Amino acid sequence: MEQKAEEEISNAFPPSSFSSSDLKQLLHSLPSNALNHFFSLGVCVRCILRLFGIKGPIYASIDNGSVENPVDSTTSNETKLCNICLGILQFRFYDDKEKRIFQKDTAYDVALLIADMVRQDGYQFDSFSLEVSIPPLILQNEASLWSYMQSKYGSEPWFREKIHTGCVSIKDALKFSLINPLEKLLDCKSSLCPFRIRLTYTHTKASEGVAKCSDNGGSCKRRKTGESDSIGEGTLSSSVEDESFDFSKLFPKSENEPCNFSYNCSRTPFYFGGRYLKYSRNVSQTRWIIDDERMGEASVEEIIGIKVLQACGGDNYKFHAAGREDIDVRMLGPGRPFILEVQNTRLVPTEQFANDIEKMINKEENKLVRVNNLKLVGSDGWNLMREGEGEKQKQYAALVWTSRPLKDEDFQQVSSLKDLKVAQRTPIRVLHRRSPLEREKIIHWMKMETVAGSSQYFLLHLCTQAGTYIKEFVHGDLGRTHPSIGSILGCRAEILQLDVTDIKMECFLT
Amino acid sequence: MSDHITEESNFSETKEKEKEKEKQKEQDEAEDEELRKLLLSDVQNLPSTPPSAVESNFAIYFALDFMKPRHDQYVYRHANGLCVIGLAPSHVAFKDEGGITAIDFNVGKSDRSGVKVTGKRKKNAQHFESNTALCKVSTKNDSYIVRCCVKGSLLEVNQQLIKQPELLNASIGKDTLLL
Repeated sequence: MEQKAEEEISNAFPPSSFSSSDLKQLLHSLPSNALNHFFSLGVCVRCILRLFGIKGPIYASIDNGSVENPVDSTTSNETKLCNICLGILQFRFYDDKEKRIFQKDTAYDVALLIADMVRQDGYQFDSFSLEVSIPPLILQNEASLWSYMQSKYGSEPWFREKIHTGCVSIKDALKFSLINPLEKLLDCKSSLCPFRIRLTYTHTKASEGVAKCSDNGGSCKRRKTGESDSIGEGTLSSSVEDESFDFSKLFPKSENEPCNFSYNCSRTPFYFGGRYLKYSRNVSQTRWIIDDERMGEASVEEIIGIKVLQACGGDNYKFHAAGREDIDVRMLGPGRPFILEVQNTRLVPTEQFANDIEKMINKEENKLVRVNNLKLVGSDGWNLMREGEGEKQKQYAALVWTSRPLKDEDFQQVSSLKDLKVAQRTPIRVLHRRSPLEREKIIHWMKMETVAGSSQYFLLHLCTQAGTYIKEFVHGDLGRTHPSIGSILGCRAEILQLDVTDIKMECFLT
Repeated sequence: MSDHITEESNFSETKEKEKEKEKQKEQDEAEDEELRKLLLSDVQNLPSTPPSAVESNFAIYFALDFMKPRHDQYVYRHANGLCVIGLAPSHVAFKDEGGITAIDFNVGKSDRSGVKVTGKRKKNAQHFESNTALCKVSTKNDSYIVRCCVKGSLLEVNQQLIKQPELLNASIGKDTLLL
């Protein structure tokens, strides 16, 4: 619905200035009985146009100061607050920042305010998407008025024609008003795009209005979407024969304040995907602070996130990785897949940009972290990462010490174990924050090689199911992981260092 | 004539594929070599006996003569607050002939081995004072009450000891686990 309206605007003929006589002509072409009736009820000129289903740039061209009452050409409705849109389409509003009521005559004046705000923040953009948010009370008004029209003019031929297109919603009418001037001021076209300009109207009395209808249960929801509401029909059916129907009953009094209007712009998040390697045993994956003290000297998410954030001028970042490793475990091999979400960037990142940032991160002197294959990803990036997270195999290399010297038979015994089932109770070191459960994990294969000519030190290569605790598999966690290397070899085993050597996932490999 | 040409072009194609395979193999080997260098970068000064996992991760305490002479117990306290309680090697029970023959967790008001703690919040964990009885260990002629010696909630007991009490006689022995 919104997309169609925007398309229609860009397809319409360029907004040559409509003169006030054009407006007069247009008003005279409308059914006069309905027109006069609405005028007498205090409906503003743009609401009238939209009730008759009129679209296009005329909304943008009307000057509030030169609108005349079609009946007596003297007083204009624009001096009073419209009962339906509460000033939204009359460009009357209360500005939260300036803390006073504004009364603008043309759409262009409002667009000026918005364009100034956009330029202030230094956004780079080649298109914008206008979003409007309207208080529920006004949507209620719209719906009530539409059903009122249906009951009063339902039999008239001009209404029968219009009923298919319906009336133009307040949101669309506002967009018809503002999009052309904004396109001129911002020097680009409007379209569905990541750069959003959001206009928010709120009303203090609006919540009360909605609360009043809450005792009608489900009918409330339908009212918000602008369909005919049961309360409206209920009231109407009892008085539809009554010609002197009291219009004011539909619209609770004392709604004579304009809405609060606030506006801002932002960009939808960008996502970078890639793989990271961690060369340090003193760097955690995410920021880790206990009692105001940082654990470790840095974190992977900060090293990558801060660089990206600064380079594209974002507000903040979120780091998501496919699994994690301890602070003292290195991440080697092809690296671990991750997605970095950057919110509200001022610049628009490109593929080249991603390449440059990757080079910048890898050039760092201290060589704590490395990034590979950094690039922009869409929503498919998430699926790639989450898919099969629990099943993917991980490969490790552990430096292991045994309490007795090992012989060839021991090596062979370990190598011969394929798809070994291991029962792991939640390790003591994480038991304070995880449920006490026994989890069965699979060790797919193992291989041991001697190290530094010692008969008690070995490099253990193993490939396991995701979620296996390797350290506990080596030392047995006081018997809570069974079997363990120690129990298999019939001696005590300790792990001195651990490295992740491969994460067998398909994503972000190029 | 055309067969000859096709043969030749096939031949050069396979040669190219072989070259690519060789290149890939070299690349993989180079990467493996780099990885190995990294993996073995710290193997220069390895101690003859490294510290055990318990020594590295826990603070080891002993409660000697706890409430009764020669009732020596250990408490391994992890940085996260969890404690493992057990009999110290100097406990009087080990001195009896034949060592420990049975363990009974059914002491006090409930059977400690039947405790079912669930969830992150550790629901159903029983609250213990330092003098609450954990279990009773029996030897051929005697039995001894083992007490908690710390204040906390019981998370789990070492079920293996019920069926295999002789494990306590070996060097590896764990009794209970507390929060």
